This record gives sequence, C-alpha cells and structure tokens, in this order.
Amino acid sequence: MHIFSLATRNVLRNWHRSAVTTGAMAFAAAIMILFAALMDGLLRDSERTAVAMNLGDAQIHRHGYLADPDLYSLLDDAAALAGNLRSHGFHAAMRLYGFGLAAAGTASAGVQLRGVDMDNEASVTLLHRHVLQGDWLAADDPHGIVIGRKLARTLAVTLGDEIVFVGQASDGSMANDLYRVRGILKSVGEDVDRAAVFITIPAFRDLMALPQGAHEIAVMRSDRNSDLDAARERVAALAPQYEVRDWRQLRPVVARLLDMADIQTIVMVVITYVAVATIILNAMLMSVFERIQEFGVMKAVGVTPWNIVALIYLETMVQTAVAAGAGGLLGYAAANYFTDHGIDLSHMASGFSFGGIAIDPVWRAYITPQSLLVPITFLFLIAAAAVVYPALKAALIRPVSAIHYR
Amino acid sequence: MHAHTHIVRLENVSKTYQQGKLQVRAVDNLSLEIDTGDFCALCGPSGSGKTTVLNMIGGLDLPSNGRVYLEERDLASLNRSQLAALRRDRIGFVFQAYNLIPVMTAFENAEFVLRLQGIPADECRQRVLATLEEVGLHGLERRRPDEMSGGQQQRVAIARAIVTRPAVVLADEPTANVDSLTADALLDLMQKLNEENGITFLFSTHDQRVMDRAKRIIHLRDGRIEQDEVRALPGARTAKS
Repeated sequence: MHIFSLATRNVLRNWHRSAVTTGAMAFAAAIMILFAALMDGLLRDSERTAVAMNLGDAQIHRHGYLADPDLYSLLDDAAALAGNLRSHGFHAAMRLYGFGLAAAGTASAGVQLRGVDMDNEASVTLLHRHVLQGDWLAADDPHGIVIGRKLARTLAVTLGDEIVFVGQASDGSMANDLYRVRGILKSVGEDVDRAAVFITIPAFRDLMALPQGAHEIAVMRSDRNSDLDAARERVAALAPQYEVRDWRQLRPVVARLLDMADIQTIVMVVITYVAVATIILNAMLMSVFERIQEFGVMKAVGVTPWNIVALIYLETMVQTAVAAGAGGLLGYAAANYFTDHGIDLSHMASGFSFGGIAIDPVWRAYITPQSLLVPITFLFLIAAAAVVYPALKAALIRPVSAIHYR
Repeated sequence: MHAHTHIVRLENVSKTYQQGKLQVRAVDNLSLEIDTGDFCALCGPSGSGKTTVLNMIGGLDLPSNGRVYLEERDLASLNRSQLAALRRDRIGFVFQAYNLIPVMTAFENAEFVLRLQGIPADECRQRVLATLEEVGLHGLERRRPDEMSGGQQQRVAIARAIVTRPAVVLADEPTANVDSLTADALLDLMQKLNEENGITFLFSTHDQRVMDRAKRIIHLRDGRIEQDEVRALPGARTAKS
C-alpha cells in the first residue's frame, strides 16, 4: 500500500474533524487571497494616482528647483528636450508653475497655477479623464480653468463660476486675470485637491509673461513594465545638465508606504494563519493521540521514525492541498467579484487617501500572481510548522509503551 | 561456546523499571536460549516478566543489564534504524489485541511490512495471497479489521508476522482475546506453521491450551526462570534445568 493512500485514508478516517480543519484552512486562504488582492488593488490605485495623475514616471527640473520652486528657474530648452525625449520613445510634456491668490466672491485661497501642455500632457498623465464635473481644458478656451475639488469647496465655486487670479509675473508686473471654471477634478492628492489651478500653457505664458521655457518636464515610459531605474538613467543621459528624478525619489514616503504594504500583507497573512495553525496543531495532536497504539505497532514491525514523520506530514499536506485548492478557488472568485464591482466606500467619507495620494472611494481588488501565491505558499509553510510537534511526538513514541497504551 | 542453532540468546539480562519512587525489577539476571524451530511458551503469573522478556527479544525494550542476541547479533549494538530494520526483516509480532491498522484491508495489513522491505509489488501480491490462504483467509483479502471477527483479525496478524519469513515470531498472549474454539484454531495454525515451515514461535501466555501444545515451557516468577521444561513428545514433559 502506498504511503499516499495510507495518508488519505487516515485523513478520511475521522472525516468530520478533517473537514473542519480543511474548511478552516480553506476559509483562511480565501480570506487572505481576497485581502491580498484588495491590498494590491489599493497599491495599484495609489501608484496609478501618484504616477498617472500627477508625477509621471520621472521629472526633469533645473537643479535646485524642487527645493526652491522659483518662477525664473526654467528649463530654457524645454521644448527641444521634450521633443528629443519623445524621439527616444518616451512620452514627455512640459509644465509651468506659478503661485498666487485666487478669489471668488468673498473667498480666497493661495493657489498653484499649473500650465498644461495640451498636445502632450494626455500622453503622460490621465488627468484629462479624471474630471469630476464639467470638462478638461480646451486649447481654444484660454480663460477656462480646471481646479481641484477642495479648492472649489474653499472658494465656493461651481462650474461656470468666475475666479480672479492675482500674482506676480516674471517681469515684475501684476499678473491678474479673470477665469471661468470649466472643470473640477476628482480627488488626486492633497496638493492638487487643495491648491491646483490648471490652465493651458499659452494662457500661462500670457499671464505670467514667460514666453519660453518650462519649469518641469514630466516623462512616462512607453512600456510600463520596463525597469524604472533604467528608464531614469536613460532620461538623465538625455538631459545631463538637469536634475532627473523618478517618482519614487520624488515621493519617497509614498514609495516606502507602497513597499511596506507588501510586508503588511505578509504580516496579516501570518497573524491569520497562526490562528489556523493552532487548529491544525490541535487536530493533528488529537489524531496522533488516537493512534498511539497504531504507531507503536508500526514501529514494532519496522517502520522508522522518519517514515512516521513522513506519514503525518503527508496527512497534513493532503488536507492543506485540498484547502489550498478550495480556498484558492473561493478567494479567486471573491477577488474577481471585487475586481469588477469594488467596495463602494463613498457613503462613509467624501474622499480617501493613502500616504497623501487620493484613492478611488470604490475600492477594487486587483488579482496578481503574488496575491494568489503568497497566501497559498504561507498556508503550506504554516501547516508544515504546525505539524512539527505532532509528527515528532508520533515519531519518538517508544513502541513498547505505545503498544500497551490505553 | 554457543551453538549456532540458538536463534535467541539472553545473557544475565535484568530489567528495572522506575514506578513512581519505587524501582521494580521485572527481569532478574535471566539467561536462556531459544532454538531454531522451537515452539516455546513463556508462562507465569502477572508481573513475572514474560512480556518484558518478549519485548527485549523483539528489540522493543532494552535491558538494564546483560545482553540479548538475535541470530547472534547483540541488540544493544544496533542503533534505532538498525533495530527497526531487524524487527522488519527478522521478527514477526503477534499481539493480544491484534493491533491491525484499521484503515487497511487484510491484504494491505499483511502486505505492509513487505512493502517496507521494498519487495516488488508483484512478488508482494503473490506472497501475501499465499500467506492469507495459508492462514485460512482466502476470500477475505479485501475486508477491513472492523469487518472481521476477532479470530479472523488474529489470523491476519499471524499472516503479517510470517509473510516476511522471519527468524522468530513473538506472540504476546495471542489467544487471550478469542473464544476457545477460535483459540484452538489459531493454535492449530501456528503449530502447523511451526511444523511445516519451521518457523520459530515464542509465546508469552497464561493459556493452558498454548502450554499443552508447546515443545518447551519456561515458567517465570519474579523475573527469574522457575522451571524450564522440554516436551519431547506431546503429553510428556522433561525438565531442562
């Protein structure tokens, strides 16, 4: 009789207990797969928001601009550089930034004016698709602006309302003009939500008296799966006189939070599985104590301690494999459902953020090979660890006392 | 000088157990030899040490003092794996409570040790079927222990013990849990296996029926040999020492 058949029959011998143990393992695996997929969804959403809504994969600035975002700290050859980047397979868009005061009625707020490259920004970020109300900027509407949702609330403006911008132009003159709100963005992040006023680059240049150059070039890889560090190096080689940083360097806190989220998933998996391990330990100990005589006889007829360890492990692994299969299917089905439908948290709060990056209030799962494999792999590891004591207990039984055990 | 026909030899063997604060001497400086092909009964009252002697011969328990030899191999010189291999290859066990593996059929219980020995499946099958037929279980190969009577279960246990062609079968009270008809049938079987196949049997028993059929009866009391009698012919008894 093959040891696998013996292990399977032993599992089925007390099928109620085996079903409870396997069921608990399967349930925990399913929950952990769903949790991992939801965490991956959260991370993906956060990264997507950080990168695709704002930062891009990398940014080019004049040295010192990030520490002191001065209006005069320009990339003088920005248009040529952006064109060169595009010819090397990158997506690149110029950006201009200015600061000032926005006022509507009796309300006012300090704002960051953002000049948008209408021809290229859409290839770098997805802001144009992230409009909550109204429309994105239009090249033929120089007085139309798009603003962050919290700024709209602060200024108490809605679509079509007028906003006055007041600031200092590059020539020292007063920059002021009247604009009309043509769009309000969904939540992107604290900085954009509270202070961003998007305007076309030609309108920005007119207002701020900056006829050429740009403060920033946002760059996006054509292939999102290619190596970020390598892409940054390539961009840096094309712009050696400027400072090039990738999004992880620009938002190190967010990058670390995203990295730590993987660890958080593993910690959650381990904590949950420790509870499962106690169930496995208990069930296998009961199984061993019920069969002490049997193990004694097996050892008497020549079964080695290692054979006994192998048998106990095989019995546990048979149950774990069934649990992994059932839990995997259940977890995949649940994660798949929440990938399509998401968990709508919008009724709980108006906005959510993760590390300062706004996330969609409809929390969706995202199934990756990792979100399936990590919970399944840890289930096998925890089961293997939980059964060490029962296996050793059975293996080290003295046959003479086990045979006469009552 | 020991004759090579001694399959089992005990030299000044003692066994002491710790029972709470008391030390119990189960076997006391005992020496004996069992010959190849013997059909020998160790008998005596409870606590006389017969099961302990059987356990030490089977390598299930180690003596506190003295030496136990099986086929002139000193069991104390063997490690756990070597002892397990010795039990697997050279010793058959029959227990009072049958001690079959409940999830296995009669065939599988008998086959189990052969598979441990690494015998090819075809040869296992032939040997197991032949052995089950020999012990009178033809047609019951697929039954599990809970589908068989006590006598049938003990026959499976005997089949498991002899299927490997061991040097000696150690049987601990093999007739204690069966009715007298079944006990007689089991003894007939073991006697036949002894006489026809030359298998050495060593029993620990209280059962007069076993003693009546034994070629040699060793009476134990307080861990010592009280009397050792060899029966040359059925019904005739001769004191050996």
